[in-house]
Amino acid sequence: MPASHQAGFARRRLFPPAAACLLAAGALAGDAAAGPATSWYALRVQPILDRHCVSCHGPEKVRAELRLDSYAALHRGGAGGAVVQPGQPERSELLRRVTLPADHDDVMPSDGKPLLAPEQTGVLARWIKAGASPEAPPPPGEEPPAVAALRPAAPDYRPFLPRLAALQEEFGVRLVPVSQQPTDGLILRTVSAPARVDDAVLARIAASEIAPLIVDAELARTRVSDAALPALARFPNLARLDLARTAVTSTALGALAPLARLRSLNLAGTRIDATARDRLRQLPALEQLHVFGTPLADASP
Amino acid sequence: MPDFPLDSRHVVTIPAGGSREYFDLQTRRQFFGRMAGGLGGAALTALAGNSLLGAFSRARAEGLLPPGSERLPHFAPKAKRAIYLFMGGAPSQIDLFDYKPQIADRFDQDLPPSILGTGQRNASNIRQPRLAVVPSPYRFQQHGKCGTWVSELLPWTAKMVDDIALIKSLQTDILNHNSAVTLILTGNAVAGKASIGAWVSYGLGRANENLPTFVVLVSKAPTPNGEGVQAVFPNFWGSGFLPATNSGVVLRSEGDPVLYLKDPRGLSRDARRAMLDGVQAMNAEAYEEIGDPAIHARIEEYEMAFRMQATVPELTDLSDETAETFALYGPDARTPGTFAHNCLMARRMAERGVRFTQVFARGWDSHRSLPKNLPLLAKDIDQPSYALVTDLKRRGLLEDTLVVWGGEFGRTVYSEGALKRDDFGRDHHGKCFTMWLAGGGIKPGIVHGETDDFSFNSIRDIAHVRDLNATILQQLGLDHNRLTFKFEGLDQKLTGTAPAKVITGLLA
Ligand code: HEC
Repeated sequence: MPASHQAGFARRRLFPPAAACLLAAGALAGDAAAGPATSWYALRVQPILDRHCVSCHGPEKVRAELRLDSYAALHRGGAGGAVVQPGQPERSELLRRVTLPADHDDVMPSDGKPLLAPEQTGVLARWIKAGASPEAPPPPGEEPPAVAALRPAAPDYRPFLPRLAALQEEFGVRLVPVSQQPTDGLILRTVSAPARVDDAVLARIAASEIAPLIVDAELARTRVSDAALPALARFPNLARLDLARTAVTSTALGALAPLARLRSLNLAGTRIDATARDRLRQLPALEQLHVFGTPLADASP
Repeated sequence: MPDFPLDSRHVVTIPAGGSREYFDLQTRRQFFGRMAGGLGGAALTALAGNSLLGAFSRARAEGLLPPGSERLPHFAPKAKRAIYLFMGGAPSQIDLFDYKPQIADRFDQDLPPSILGTGQRNASNIRQPRLAVVPSPYRFQQHGKCGTWVSELLPWTAKMVDDIALIKSLQTDILNHNSAVTLILTGNAVAGKASIGAWVSYGLGRANENLPTFVVLVSKAPTPNGEGVQAVFPNFWGSGFLPATNSGVVLRSEGDPVLYLKDPRGLSRDARRAMLDGVQAMNAEAYEEIGDPAIHARIEEYEMAFRMQATVPELTDLSDETAETFALYGPDARTPGTFAHNCLMARRMAERGVRFTQVFARGWDSHRSLPKNLPLLAKDIDQPSYALVTDLKRRGLLEDTLVVWGGEFGRTVYSEGALKRDDFGRDHHGKCFTMWLAGGGIKPGIVHGETDDFSFNSIRDIAHVRDLNATILQQLGLDHNRLTFKFEGLDQKLTGTAPAKVITGLLA
């Protein structure tokens, strides 16, 4: 088999299956040393450290006498003393290290490892600012996506049903309920005439009252481009986004960062390249990413 | 026999050609006409609006549901569409997937009576003086991370075992082809019920307004002189009692893909439109007068055909496929009518929102000359099946496309007719056979169910073909017990009247 077939397997798990981990964590709630498994720290802070720091600051390697694999160790600090000053992110060594420019000698993670996304350093900063507590629950808006996903996905669509036909007509797309369950949301469907859907259409849908109902945007082979991505970011409940074979490039992908529930993103056959990686890292709930037939896939081993 | 009450108050005047839906509608109208007097319109609305389903039927009745939402899944589906690779004639599970090293040294020995039991009779075990065991002559190896055993006849399928789920414990009740295919595809061995594709089309509705919801592709057999080929009949993809718009549309590989779709030479598209408008005006008048939904369906079908004139050529034109893609599907992919070409077509259907695509492969009926024909049959479907799953996967379509592979039953461990090392046959067998499923919320890299040492009896996680059908519907967001249609006094369903269960072991 030609190697390119395998290279084309572009379905990558960028992040561990968050929902499964969290459910397991919830079941262990009450582990005294770690604080409650439902705390802001356990849900949002430790996962960042586990993923990006513990390889050098954990049981296997302890650089600068600092371990970051538990709250107690984090609190204790490293060779230079405390790394977190509760309430004072600007005076916390830990935060300073992860917000330095990439070429700075002190930047963490070291050794050219990928840096934290702004979304992640934001979580650390807000948690320290709020007192760096091991127990405090996440304030509204700070829950991880999987917990958010346990809530109904979208507002009840029933009040909108009488207007959907007119909206379909107006936008030239289909707005189809996912199922008979009224909080399963709507699919934005364009497959009948993708060529009729462009940036302007999308901007109008994003500005309309039904934007929060859309959980699945089927935009493959439409005429949307980079200019449409800020509009897409205004679908707060979007879980699936199919942009395959559109004119979208890496440049505008950062605009998708507010999509905290986006689980599946299809960019196959677009022009995205290696610079897309850092921008996509900002999507906290992303599980499926498809990049077959892009310069990014061709560049990957 | 009429199935509406023969009480004189219920007898309605039926115009010539009145359809079933028309009868239903008339009796319903009379019912609500009487009800409204006693109960009051407001109370009735409140009643209907109470339950979720009530809200739906009400919205539907009042024409509130927008086009495309007339039918919705019962719950959020894992798969938006399905592709069914049907191996007509019944592949030999024991030579492809169901590895039995335990009987490797039993060549030409009698099948133990304890294994045969009192079970299913077929032509050979009735007529033959003895039932001589034929261990598979093919080498098996473990593949993938999951370590699933696959025969050397399927080297490409072997590469994707981590992406598919095998089920080895399927059973069916019927041992002749036509009835068994009818059973697995329509839920009943007697022809005339709605096929699984028609049910899916009916249950989910149209995703693409310009293409059929259910497409059928029939492949040429790779065997010489039509050996092992069984006929395919239109009832395999018929709509039965469901509205006719749900039946499968056969795309032909030679000449026009859809018969009678092209305008006659010299007729312009505008002229066709004008003629259609005239016919439709007459249809609309008739509908006003009589109110038979069949007229409405006819109007829809004419419009659909008109739109398909524009979309089918694009669908069947493979010039935008890369050389790399053709290479993935294998050397036959450029030849219309081959299984490989049809698999590539099936991927294009998935991209364009066709709900159910059924590809028929043919020639698997290996009563004789199995060692000569089975390698040809396996080769014909192996790389294309792998390519389809792989291609869907890399394009991000496997997530929400369910792929199913298999035939109507399995084949016997013993030889039918004379047994030689290099020439034997296998008869029909219904007590165990193997299929595979992939994508659409199916758990990848597993083997479900188990058979005895002779691949003769299913011994663990036994599943009937109606359980398979319940599972397929489930992945498409449809509850097989709720997807019903009233006909002949019965709430008809794909899984029939016997209890059926979703095979949860297959689900991710
Ligand atoms: C590839 C290994 C590696 C990774 C990954 C890594 N570090 Fe470090 N870290 C080091 C080394 C080596 C030092 C000591 C050199 C220095 O101070 O720059 C250090 C020092 C530190 C210090 C200073 C501790 C003290 O008391 O002097 C902090 C704070 C720190 N790291 C935080 C982090 C954070 C937060 C992360 C994850 C975002 C991280 N590190 C990831 C290797 C790593």
